[in-house]
Amino acid sequence: MKIECKDLERVLREQEPPSLEALARHAESCAGCARELRLWNEISAVAGHMRKSWDSPGLWPRIQQALVAQSQDAARAPRIWSLGWLWGGFARNWQVAAAALALLVITASGAWMLLHNPEPAVEPDTAKRLLNKQAVREVEAAEAAYIKSIEKLSALAGPRIEHPATPLMVSYREKLLLLDAAIAECRANIEQNRWNAHLRQELLEIYQQKQRTLQDVVGEE
Amino acid sequence: MRRSDDPAKQVTPSAANARTAVGLEEDSALAEACRTGSLSAYEQLYQKHGARLKSIALNLLGNVHDAEDAVQEAFLKVHRGIRSFKGQSAFSTWIYRILLNSCYDLRRKKQRRQETPEQDLEPQGTFEAPAAATDHPLRLALEACVARLSPHYRNVFLLFEVEGFSHSEIAAMLGISEASSKNMLYQAKRKLRRLLSESEKSVKSEPS
Repeated sequence: MKIECKDLERVLREQEPPSLEALARHAESCAGCARELRLWNEISAVAGHMRKSWDSPGLWPRIQQALVAQSQDAARAPRIWSLGWLWGGFARNWQVAAAALALLVITASGAWMLLHNPEPAVEPDTAKRLLNKQAVREVEAAEAAYIKSIEKLSALAGPRIEHPATPLMVSYREKLLLLDAAIAECRANIEQNRWNAHLRQELLEIYQQKQRTLQDVVGEE
Repeated sequence: MRRSDDPAKQVTPSAANARTAVGLEEDSALAEACRTGSLSAYEQLYQKHGARLKSIALNLLGNVHDAEDAVQEAFLKVHRGIRSFKGQSAFSTWIYRILLNSCYDLRRKKQRRQETPEQDLEPQGTFEAPAAATDHPLRLALEACVARLSPHYRNVFLLFEVEGFSHSEIAAMLGISEASSKNMLYQAKRKLRRLLSESEKSVKSEPS
């Protein structure tokens, strides 16, 4: 194989052993190519000394420990996942469930009180519209429980409602504002006539709506 | 796998092929053992490739601490991904590819932490390496110049010239063709030659 100066770059690029041997032969009679080839080989020779070697007695034990930990994590992963999922679900839902239960109790007791008033204190035609003292106390206690339950839900839903991130949350926020206005209005009317069964029933229904809305907000992922 | 500079140590093609075949057989046996999760298999892997993995990591990351972290991370990735290794390439090639990725991930993380612009994933300025037996001035100059190469050129140069991998191995590791590997090495050496001569001129021009 005959190599000339113009072949130098190609041979160095292709690095085919026969061509490199031919280039070395050519360099014996060509000072320019000899210099190029010498510099080229010098880089390779010095690069061989760039290989780093040092003792690291702690490295393998460290790797071994990390491998064992990783294996253990991998073995635990499915169980952790299922427990985590159950726990996460429980943690997410118990407050909602508690609020729903409170709502059920309140609604049932409220309904019972309204439908089975044992001692009508007034005339039969007005009994449907007016409550006696005992019934008012019980309804007010039920309302207080409702408010407490709503407050808990409001605390959970608070950040989502204060800074709504989706159009749905904006709608919930508007609905809650309307419900709050309705509650305020209803309560103002009740202040005028706290014996009015109709107003009390209306207030309980609004509370119920607010509670459901808050439950929806909290349940929304 | 390292190419020998010593002609006396050079082997005939048939002997080399036989050695490669044995190497591949050992490779796949080790991969199989690692697949079972055997820690002794990983220890064997470390004994066989640890030194070279550390050297590559140090040349890419510039300090021993990060290099060892990268090697550890590479082992963990191998452990996590061994089931996905189907033997399309040699096991060792796969491990080195994982190491290279670990090095780049580590550097990216460090750069993000330092909130410096991620330009070319250049190694850190200082090179805290173990003291070499012979601190040849040309070697130090070459190291500084290699750090200025672009990542692709640097990888090919380090893997071929420093670590002694063949172009076919480098091609498999970096996911490029053998021709590209050869071309990148050529370009890398050309640039190194230019950088070395520039640094030589600047040293000479400095007043003594």
